[in-house]
Amino acid sequence: MKVRFWGVRGYVPTPNAAMLRYGGNTCCTSVTGEHGELIVLDTGTGFCMLGDELMQGEFGRGRGTLTLLISHTYWDHILGLPFPGVVHIPGNRLDIYGPDSTRGSLQMVYDGMLSPVYSPVFGLAHIGATHRFTPISTEPFIVGQLTIRAMPLSYRPHSPIWAYRLEEGGRALVYITDVRYSERGIREAAIAFAKQANVLIHSAPYLRDEQVEDYGHSRVEDAIEMAQAADVERLLLFHHAPMRTDDELDAIVAHFRQMLAAQGSPLQLIAAAEGMELVV
Amino acid sequence: MRVRIWGTRGSYPVANASMLRYGGNTTCVEVEAEDHHIILDAGTGLRMLGEALRQSHAPPNRFDLLITHTHWDHIIGFPFFAPLFDPNSKIDIYGLARTQSSLRTTLAGALSDPLLPLTLDDLRAQINFFEIGAGHCLELGPVRVRTALANHPYRALAYRLETDQGVLTFIPDTGPFHTVLFGEQRIEWTGQPTARSQSELRELAAMKEAILELAYRADWLIYDAQFTDAQYARFPHWGHSSASQAREIAEAAQVRQLILFHHDPHRTDAELDQIVAEQQAAAVPGLIISAAFEGMELARKP
Repeated sequence: MKVRFWGVRGYVPTPNAAMLRYGGNTCCTSVTGEHGELIVLDTGTGFCMLGDELMQGEFGRGRGTLTLLISHTYWDHILGLPFPGVVHIPGNRLDIYGPDSTRGSLQMVYDGMLSPVYSPVFGLAHIGATHRFTPISTEPFIVGQLTIRAMPLSYRPHSPIWAYRLEEGGRALVYITDVRYSERGIREAAIAFAKQANVLIHSAPYLRDEQVEDYGHSRVEDAIEMAQAADVERLLLFHHAPMRTDDELDAIVAHFRQMLAAQGSPLQLIAAAEGMELVV
Repeated sequence: MRVRIWGTRGSYPVANASMLRYGGNTTCVEVEAEDHHIILDAGTGLRMLGEALRQSHAPPNRFDLLITHTHWDHIIGFPFFAPLFDPNSKIDIYGLARTQSSLRTTLAGALSDPLLPLTLDDLRAQINFFEIGAGHCLELGPVRVRTALANHPYRALAYRLETDQGVLTFIPDTGPFHTVLFGEQRIEWTGQPTARSQSELRELAAMKEAILELAYRADWLIYDAQFTDAQYARFPHWGHSSASQAREIAEAAQVRQLILFHHDPHRTDAELDQIVAEQQAAAVPGLIISAAFEGMELARKP
């Protein structure tokens, strides 16, 4: 599996010269399998950049297939979907997995997001690519040679949030975002879910010093403790806060690497950056 | 009257090194007249305005927010505007009256689960909603405001703001007034202009007339210039204009300065420099043409 980050910012895109190295586009990560399967985790504005690149290949000719795994439907995870030309080319296929909310299925949420009052697309029916929505469950499923598992990260029925685990050839990538470990039982379940992952992508917008309460977002320290408890190899901090500059992120990573070294921890810590590629 | 541009981009915000000079934040313009603060549109530029106010010495707490329409690029900054969470703020929000949904419902729906975890009650500021139509007149302190309809999918408002110190006309999203008439329905584009009925042609002509009147002799016309002419020819059903179409409107309305706006998310700084040079070279004598950039300020010379 090859991972590439297209958007790593949380909450809102931040076009800012002091944030370009890590990047200002919102959540979107692509995973490419050994046999070319293309899986995309969330469609924030980073998806627009991915779409531009896909246009150069099979997708530009209407012969592409994309599996989208949606963690949840807050703006910074979905608003990029309708913009890339590739989603409007007939023949392309979008297989979209994600949670249904008690306020509407995933498909209804996307349809509402694209309704004429919010979008010139005038609704999901006008997305030219063939699209199929599948409500996510804990039942594992297969995309090409990859096995995908999912786990609920929230008990709030209006706003379900799910984590994903992608496995291929004995290697595992886990994606956890917008988690609140103060919810009962979630931390233990997440640790079991991420057990011995080679790569864990984990949202961590703030530090405990900055955010004393866990307001729907685990902090950097929570992500590190969780990764250690799950025996993760590499932790990628993700969903950076909108005010966080490149230099501040460098300093945060340096500080916590030093801490890990002092502990003798084998955990590798990296801050995800737009354009960064890694092999799981 | 002082105008400051906080967001210039259309469609979606872009964080791209080759677009930073003109800026990647979506549409938001601040107008200050005496102690009145008027904000045009709530794209991601609004967040930057909120941050700047928070750091200012004596931040204002009374705002009028005039929204052209509620496509995402025009509201995506809304919940990130810090004064919304300040109980001492008072914000009057104006937008297009629609039969299908109220402005309040549209904004509340965008903010609430499962799209965001907020409700209007979480916004601690005192917020009032006002739904207005085309040809509406308002007086906001020293600023006289007038509206017209722009030619955009599902319709959008355009605004003219007038004081004794200057006139600003804001038309961030509009197609030209010849090929496609936009309304409540989606336009299916077959690649060929379809025959239009006499009533559609009359409506387009009337819409153009109202837009020219709205822009008439404005000091500053901020106008949709998302496209090149070649892009317009391919995408006339998107409801945006090219830079040369913007110039034609500015010339017909005898505007002093045309400010190209709602830049395409793929348009680089270098391309915008070139577009401005081309349009300036083609412009009637006396018309100044610029492209909006983040941080741009407009004020009449004393």
